[in-house]
Amino acid sequence: MDFGALIGIFISIVLVNNLVLSQFLGICPFLGVSRKVDMAFGMGCAVTFVITVSGVVTWLIVHGIFQPLGQSLLGDPNALNFLKYVAFIMVIASMVQLVEMYLRKFFPPLYSAFGVFLPLITTNCAILGTCLYIDMKPETQHLLNAAVYAFGGGVGFAIAITIMAGVREHIQFSDVPKPLRGPGITLLVASILALAFMGFMGIGA
Amino acid sequence: MNLLLIALAAAALFGLTLFFAGLLGVAKEKLRVDEDPRIGQINEVLPAANCGGCGYAGCSDFAKAVVEDRAPCDGCPVGGSKTAELVAKILGVEVVKTYPFRPILHCGAKNHEKLGRVRYDGVQTCAEAHVVGVTQACTYGCLGYGDCVKACTFGAMVMVEGSPVVIYDKCTGCGACARACPRNLIENIPFKQKHMLAVACANPEPAKNVKQVCTAGCVGCKVCQKLFNELFEVRNNLACLNYDTYNGEEDLDKLFKKCPASALVYFGGEKPERAKELAAEMAGTAEESDG
Repeated sequence: MDFGALIGIFISIVLVNNLVLSQFLGICPFLGVSRKVDMAFGMGCAVTFVITVSGVVTWLIVHGIFQPLGQSLLGDPNALNFLKYVAFIMVIASMVQLVEMYLRKFFPPLYSAFGVFLPLITTNCAILGTCLYIDMKPETQHLLNAAVYAFGGGVGFAIAITIMAGVREHIQFSDVPKPLRGPGITLLVASILALAFMGFMGIGA
Repeated sequence: MNLLLIALAAAALFGLTLFFAGLLGVAKEKLRVDEDPRIGQINEVLPAANCGGCGYAGCSDFAKAVVEDRAPCDGCPVGGSKTAELVAKILGVEVVKTYPFRPILHCGAKNHEKLGRVRYDGVQTCAEAHVVGVTQACTYGCLGYGDCVKACTFGAMVMVEGSPVVIYDKCTGCGACARACPRNLIENIPFKQKHMLAVACANPEPAKNVKQVCTAGCVGCKVCQKLFNELFEVRNNLACLNYDTYNGEEDLDKLFKKCPASALVYFGGEKPERAKELAAEMAGTAEESDG
């Protein structure tokens, strides 16, 4: 568990295996909330927070509850793995609720700025995906690694959605061919962005 | 073995659920934000359709806006006046009844009543005819080329004998006709009743000049002002009806008998029975005096 490995994990999940642009997770908020840069950045921050907390908590649940229980009572540490999905969803939903309450109490302007998007993070597949990846990958067997992986996933999402919002803000003023207006040009931009991020492939692998 | 697995799974999930439920429960108490209790109360009397018809993102948002005085208590179009009353009761305020604004025409003259009309072969719009200016003697009255009818997107206006008639069942009060009229003869007034009285003349000239150009114009005799001082005021030789005080229910029989011009016209639904009879009587006496 050296420092270099942590940096490798971070760069890998932020750029090379970017959640949105390489693994195609969390596309709905990526397309839905990327109309304005400040809104997109706020969404990215909220997702980063929830993803980090849920990543750590789910790691703790798997490694602190499921595996010891399975090992000691059933003789197989992976016996309870089928509970992962249910448990993870519960964790994420609870975390989102918690974040919502916290923001409402201490940062009311941020709370009102997020509006309906905050509860919507509950159904963001990037978060559940990250939690499940953490459980699958060999390099995230340690808590710190898992935390860095989850945080990096959030940062990668924030970067992707902010870039997308910046591009879309410019597209509003450009002469888009009529058949491509609206979702068409947005998906095209997303695909070109994804192509660009393919260029990071191979770094640190 | 399988039973043990099921029991274990159930126990683990139950434990986790309990833990998170407790966590959220504690957080709810610790992080509680005291909001105005009226927001909840108002939210309960709202229709809960979350249709957004009020312009806010759902009923609770509207409730919040009402409490913060950003929205009127009768702002819910679905609940109507009933909901407005309940909301006002919670807030401890009185509902001010609002009325729909509908157009009336400040010129009641039909084609045969307008004098000095000449043949006009130019562009057949009021705007054009108004610029030409000599198509009829009265430079204030309705030109009758129907710019307002063309402007209406709801099909709520028709031309009858050179004068536009509003079909009030179709009218939405959008004001397009009022903007289209080059002579500003159409005014949107609060329809407190199904039929509203209006002074159907806009000519501010002295009586002599009015009589030269129209047989239906207001001559500014001030009879109405003398009889119903609160309702009428004569400004620039022209009677003006005050819609703040007029509520459509007054008994104006006396006035209909005295008013020398037929410039007082009911707009909207059917005229009240009495007014119709009076109008018939007046027409009769007029014919008699002519004869």
